[in-house]
Amino acid sequence: MQFKLVRYFTLASIGMFGLVAISLVYFEHQQGAFFKQTEEQQAAFFGEVQQSFARQQDESARRDLLTIHESGNVNLTRLFANALWARDFAPFVARAQAIDIHPCRAIADVDAGGKTVAPPEKKACFADVGKRIMALPGFDDIDAKVYDAMKKSTVFKIKVFDLRGVTIYSSEHEQIGDDKSANAGWRAAAHDGTPKSELTHRDTFSAFEGVVENRDLISSYLPVLEPGSSRVVGVFEVYSDVTPFLKQIEATSAQIRATALDNQAKVDAAARTNLAEVDAASNRQLATVAVLLSLLFVALLVIVRRADRIIRQQEKERQHSHQQLAQTEKMASLGQMVAGVAHQLNTPLAFSQNNVLMVKDALDSMVFPMKVANRMSSVLKTTTGDVVTLKVAQLRSNLARLEDGDVDVDMLQQMLGDVLEGIEQMSEMVVNLRDFTRLDRASVASADLNKSLHTVAYIAKSVIPHDILVVEEFHPLPEVECNASQLNQVFLNLINNAAQAIDGSGRITLRTEADGEQVRIEVEDTGRGIPPEVLPHIFDLYFTTKPAGQGTGLGLAIARDIVTQHGGEIRVDTRLGAGTTFIITLPIRQRAALAEAA
Amino acid sequence: MTKKSGKILCVDDEPNIVRSLQWLLQKEFEVFTANNGQCALALVQQHDFDVVISDQRMPIMTGVEVLREVRRLSPRTMRILLTGYSDMQAILRSINESEVFRFVNKPWNIAELPGLVAQAVNIARTRPAEEYSAELHEDTPLAAANDDRILVIDDDPDTQRAVAEIVGNTVRVSYTPNLAEAVNILNNEAVSVIVAETRVGSIDATRLVRLMKSRHPEIVTVMLSDDADADAVTTLINQGQIYRFVPKPVRQGYLRLVLNSALRKHNALTLDPQLTGRHAVEITPAEAAESLISDVHQVAVEVEAANPGRGGFLASIGAGLRRLFGS
Repeated sequence: MQFKLVRYFTLASIGMFGLVAISLVYFEHQQGAFFKQTEEQQAAFFGEVQQSFARQQDESARRDLLTIHESGNVNLTRLFANALWARDFAPFVARAQAIDIHPCRAIADVDAGGKTVAPPEKKACFADVGKRIMALPGFDDIDAKVYDAMKKSTVFKIKVFDLRGVTIYSSEHEQIGDDKSANAGWRAAAHDGTPKSELTHRDTFSAFEGVVENRDLISSYLPVLEPGSSRVVGVFEVYSDVTPFLKQIEATSAQIRATALDNQAKVDAAARTNLAEVDAASNRQLATVAVLLSLLFVALLVIVRRADRIIRQQEKERQHSHQQLAQTEKMASLGQMVAGVAHQLNTPLAFSQNNVLMVKDALDSMVFPMKVANRMSSVLKTTTGDVVTLKVAQLRSNLARLEDGDVDVDMLQQMLGDVLEGIEQMSEMVVNLRDFTRLDRASVASADLNKSLHTVAYIAKSVIPHDILVVEEFHPLPEVECNASQLNQVFLNLINNAAQAIDGSGRITLRTEADGEQVRIEVEDTGRGIPPEVLPHIFDLYFTTKPAGQGTGLGLAIARDIVTQHGGEIRVDTRLGAGTTFIITLPIRQRAALAEAA
Repeated sequence: MTKKSGKILCVDDEPNIVRSLQWLLQKEFEVFTANNGQCALALVQQHDFDVVISDQRMPIMTGVEVLREVRRLSPRTMRILLTGYSDMQAILRSINESEVFRFVNKPWNIAELPGLVAQAVNIARTRPAEEYSAELHEDTPLAAANDDRILVIDDDPDTQRAVAEIVGNTVRVSYTPNLAEAVNILNNEAVSVIVAETRVGSIDATRLVRLMKSRHPEIVTVMLSDDADADAVTTLINQGQIYRFVPKPVRQGYLRLVLNSALRKHNALTLDPQLTGRHAVEITPAEAAESLISDVHQVAVEVEAANPGRGGFLASIGAGLRRLFGS
């Protein structure tokens, strides 16, 4: 299975970079959110601070206003009391005490909508009390004096209560007679002797000057102290107009608020720009990182692609080399075989040629004597008598030629007999060669392995040294389904190896035996054996004990491949110094796999 | 019946070969046969053979081994090796150890073989046998006479260095990396031993050697070579009767031994010129001579171009070649 380097690299790096990118984005986002939160908190805090300042300012301004006006009112009351109480008010108050208010007080409050309010009768009762007070003598006097004292001032209203809580006097006459005993302010002033002031807003207000609208007033309940003592003799309620002051306060507050808002807006804007900058910066960072990561990815991808290409190239080259090497191995062993075969054929060629040429020469020398014999026959045919006269003069001069014809015909016959033997030897070689390669047969066929081994042994004898004896110990074998020419290659390789293991003279024994559904073939030599450190590696690809350049290390590896493809096994027994035996077992029947591979 | 001139022994494990040889040679010679080395040597000890022809490829004892023993047992006997199989090792050993007279390839030429055997018989009978000298050792001192000169023809500086180291000042040595110079030297000096590469520059130097031997049989030749070619070596023996063939890389000790032996051989040859007859050679074909002359001429031109000061070099080469090889 080919390792798809580029694909795995791409997936892995995309995954990794993606992870890195996601975590970067996440962290940037977290940072940004945190920053935003911080900014918001700061802004909010700032806002709160400003608002609290503004509020404080407003409150303190109002408080100050109140305090100042209250103290002003207190002073005013004192002045007023000093001026008017002893002579004017005190007697009036005393007269008013005579009016009985208990019946009015006795009228119970009713519950209206959750609040306890005075029923109309009660109000009417107190209104009546008021009328009676106003009817008292000295009222108009007081009224006029009060008006005189207070007009054109910021005091808009004065009320005077007696120690019962009844409104003895009010610049708003309708209010005279009201019962204010329940009022907390009156109580504080009357019972505790402490002034109580309050800032209120009245939409309409009847002031000295008349009805005014929309005014902010400070109302103070002030205890009246008897001059020269600290005894409370009455309660004033003074309404002073602080509208302009309040307006000022409000204007200031508004300004402050506006400034605050402005600042807030600025802070917000600054926060927003900061945030935007931070965002932008982090986006830039992310973008830079992303670009760098992609550059890195691209660079690595280029490298990996090249590496992949190189690896594939090298793999191809390696396969190519391997093929070339296998081919070289085959060619080398083929070359050896061919040389051996050529030499083997040389011998019968030499003596056959020699003998035939000699016979030819002999025949040449027999021509003249044959002619003479023929002449003799024809003469005999034409002569009737028993005696013939020969003129031997001419013949005598050719005596040598005649004697030449005294050829040893037996010798010639022997010569030609040897020639036939030679031809026989050459045919045997041809037949064995043909059997060895088996090109004329189908790849997978049934074969008699004894015959194959014999053929291979014959061929091998032309190659291996002459003083190594090859012995065949064959048992009858059933026909085996196999690729015979491949097996021949294996056998030849084993026999060659065996010969090379033998120094000098020795013996190679080829043994075959049938074993149930299998056959067993052994190639045993009397060579030097395989050392234990070499033994585990002999079937390894490219492993050879020959010096560099001499062995390809492919022979046994290929042999094992072929045997395994046949569903068989090859193993080795060896003894150092004594010899080695290779044992091959092959199944008789092949499974579909081999037949398909054919 | 013609007189049988010559006692021959044919050795081959293949009976048909031995029979054919016998039939071929028995007309002229008295032929004995053997199927293996043991029998052959036994026969050699019993009889006095002129020629022994042996096949190389035999079980137990190869042809080279047989001939080596024959050389020891009967130095007078001429030795011919029958080869059909280019076993380089065997061929080199047969040159260096057995001092084979000729290599005959199978199948042999039936017209020529009897003639060759006759020549060998003649030499065996008329030329004195070489004394079988005791084996030299690597540290035996060099047996050099005063007027000995060794000519080294090789463009490989290692060879020069090796020879210089071995020889020192005991013998005069001339070195040349090209054939034209070699011809010059051979012309002007008396050379005892030639140590030559088979290829000098890119030119086949074996032709020089082969041609030399026919005119100057007293010169002993030692060939060196990076790659040994069976055919080239066979020709070198048959036409050049080279003394030794040493494949490169050469071991210093072995080269020393070889040089020593060569110098002794040269001495023996000069002392008794009759001995040179033992090393008669086949005629080198005329084309070889012509191609050699033209190659040497080519080299001479190049040398003259490189060294303009060497006036008349070309001319002297031409004259030298003619003198060396005759025309």
